[in-house]
Amino acid sequence: MNTTISPLKIILFLLGFVIIGLPFIALLLSSLAAGWRWPDLIPASFSFRAWDYILFGSARTWQSIGTSLLIALIVTIVNVVLAVPAANALVRFQFRGKWLAEAILFAPIIIPPFVAVMGIHLTFLRFGLTETILGVVLAHLSPTLPYMVRAVVISYSTLSTERENQARMLGAGPLLRFYYIVLPHLLPGIAAGASLSILISLSQYLITFIIGSGQVVTLPILLFPFISGGDPAIGSAYSLMFAGMAILALLSLDVALKNYYKKKGVRSNGEGGE
Amino acid sequence: MMIRKITAPVLLGLTMAACSAQSSEEAEREEENLLTADWQEITDKAEGQEVNMYMWGGNDNINRYLDDWVAPRLKEMHDIELSRVPVSDAQDFINQLLDEKTAGKTAGSMDIIWINGENFKAAKDNELLFGDFSGQLPNFNSYINPEAPEISHDFGEPVDGLEAPWGKAQFVFVHDEQKVGTPPKSMEELADWVEKNPGQFTYPALPDFTGSAFIRNVLYETTGGHEQYERPAAQIEDLESRLEPMWDYLNDIEPYLWRNGETYPESLSKLDQLYASGEVAMTMSYDPALAASEVLKGRFPESTRTFLLDAGTLSNTHFLSIPFNSSDKAGAMVAINEMMSPEAQTAKLSPENWGDLSALDLEKLSPEQQAAMNNVELGEATLPLEELENNRLPELSSDYIEILEKGWMENVAKE
Repeated sequence: MNTTISPLKIILFLLGFVIIGLPFIALLLSSLAAGWRWPDLIPASFSFRAWDYILFGSARTWQSIGTSLLIALIVTIVNVVLAVPAANALVRFQFRGKWLAEAILFAPIIIPPFVAVMGIHLTFLRFGLTETILGVVLAHLSPTLPYMVRAVVISYSTLSTERENQARMLGAGPLLRFYYIVLPHLLPGIAAGASLSILISLSQYLITFIIGSGQVVTLPILLFPFISGGDPAIGSAYSLMFAGMAILALLSLDVALKNYYKKKGVRSNGEGGE
Repeated sequence: MMIRKITAPVLLGLTMAACSAQSSEEAEREEENLLTADWQEITDKAEGQEVNMYMWGGNDNINRYLDDWVAPRLKEMHDIELSRVPVSDAQDFINQLLDEKTAGKTAGSMDIIWINGENFKAAKDNELLFGDFSGQLPNFNSYINPEAPEISHDFGEPVDGLEAPWGKAQFVFVHDEQKVGTPPKSMEELADWVEKNPGQFTYPALPDFTGSAFIRNVLYETTGGHEQYERPAAQIEDLESRLEPMWDYLNDIEPYLWRNGETYPESLSKLDQLYASGEVAMTMSYDPALAASEVLKGRFPESTRTFLLDAGTLSNTHFLSIPFNSSDKAGAMVAINEMMSPEAQTAKLSPENWGDLSALDLEKLSPEQQAAMNNVELGEATLPLEELENNRLPELSSDYIEILEKGWMENVAKE
């Protein structure tokens, strides 16, 4: 690893700050602004109205963050369970109608979720799944699963069957082979897919609203009316909460992954050598 | 307030809505009962019920008024738990009710919905509403004049007791006193002002609700009054030529608008943002006290004022209704009744809480109640209630609104 600080790194860091950091500063200022008029670079006066509303008002912010994270977590776990066997089959087996299976798996990326969710809503109504977290979780699977499958497929395609065959000859059963050989190799792909799945699930508004019918209140459900209704201060404050929630979720994923590698005795960036 | 186009999914739902919607006979009888029972019986039944109120949730003042003012009182007086469900567009829950009707869901979670105009018409046409309940509410009977046109009709559609009035809105122009010394008194004067101050005025692109209301005001003034449009649009044969002066007016001011009229703000909130950041000198609102509440928040400059035109401006009423499959209809009726009480309406009038005009007939209130309402500090940016009251024009029915929105695209936006 190269540890000297090169000018390129400094430039990249500054660029990263301008692209990622500055919008947050603008959001923070806007959430605290009481009147921000051209040509003022900084708001003329500040107020905690927006933060007071979302943190201490009866705005149910914390409860909605809990609901958002719970749904994203369940969705991601279900995605992993579904995506690993699917990716396995897609990469390793040749079968008739494979293109069709792939097309169906990836269709939600291309077809707008709104189209599907109208039909899903009617069906879920009949099954009594609307207004429940279970229903929302099931509905979130459609926009998230394709990304998970995609990520795991890439991991699988760089894994040859030789190691597994070797383990099989040594007497390892399918579970052991999966746990000791396949899973460590898939983990970076699963982590990538899980990050996408968490982020996409957290940011769903329409699907959550229609299937949850207003009874499953996630953060976007509270946030959207303010953005479309044009209260920039509260919209900004909620957006910052949302960003914080997403970063927190991704960080915990990262920490969990690092812990796993530590336990395995493999350095997190040393894996993947085939 | 939030009225927008009902789009394709509704039409789809409409054709499918012919399916089953069976409810047990017992529940039906009980509902019949609510529409005829005496009030005491209804309040007894309402006790302990949980009422979900689905409403547009994009304003913290309105949300707080419900959460901190209305809900605790309902809990205390009637042991009713009011839970507000924020929605970004009223059309969303109408679509949802349509689906629920199609799927035959009889125990729905929506107990009160906040609607008017096109959303009410869609709900009424598809039989998504509970029934003729407003006549059961004591506060409706005591303080409302059911014959008044703005109560009996909602954007030209007969209300038939399916919804109860909650508040009134009126179109006003919002200006910065420091930039607009003497506000225009007519559309003609407005055009003069716009020409002399290029880039300082614009209106939201249609089909934005407020932008659409602005051109309806133009329509009334440039084509000789609103009376001629009381008939259905289809009955006026020379409608197109009658609308001609309005398109001419809009095209004449276009070169002097913000960005030379090459583009329009896509929504009122974008226009408000332009005004708040000082890019334009005027904005507009279908809520006469909204400017005052924006000044209180610090978003609009202190020098913000509102004005009307001498010929009057459009006004409408917004309503509360109960969906067909509400599970707590008695609770919903009691809650709506409380929200129509003089105390609740007076609190709602104050810009600190919300700044929404009262739905009640001032003359039916007791002298003390009248005084309480007149003493509400509306803020310098709001016009006196009397001035608003005396300059109200009725709304057009929705068939015209559609024609105007299409016409604007062809005659103004495209050229």
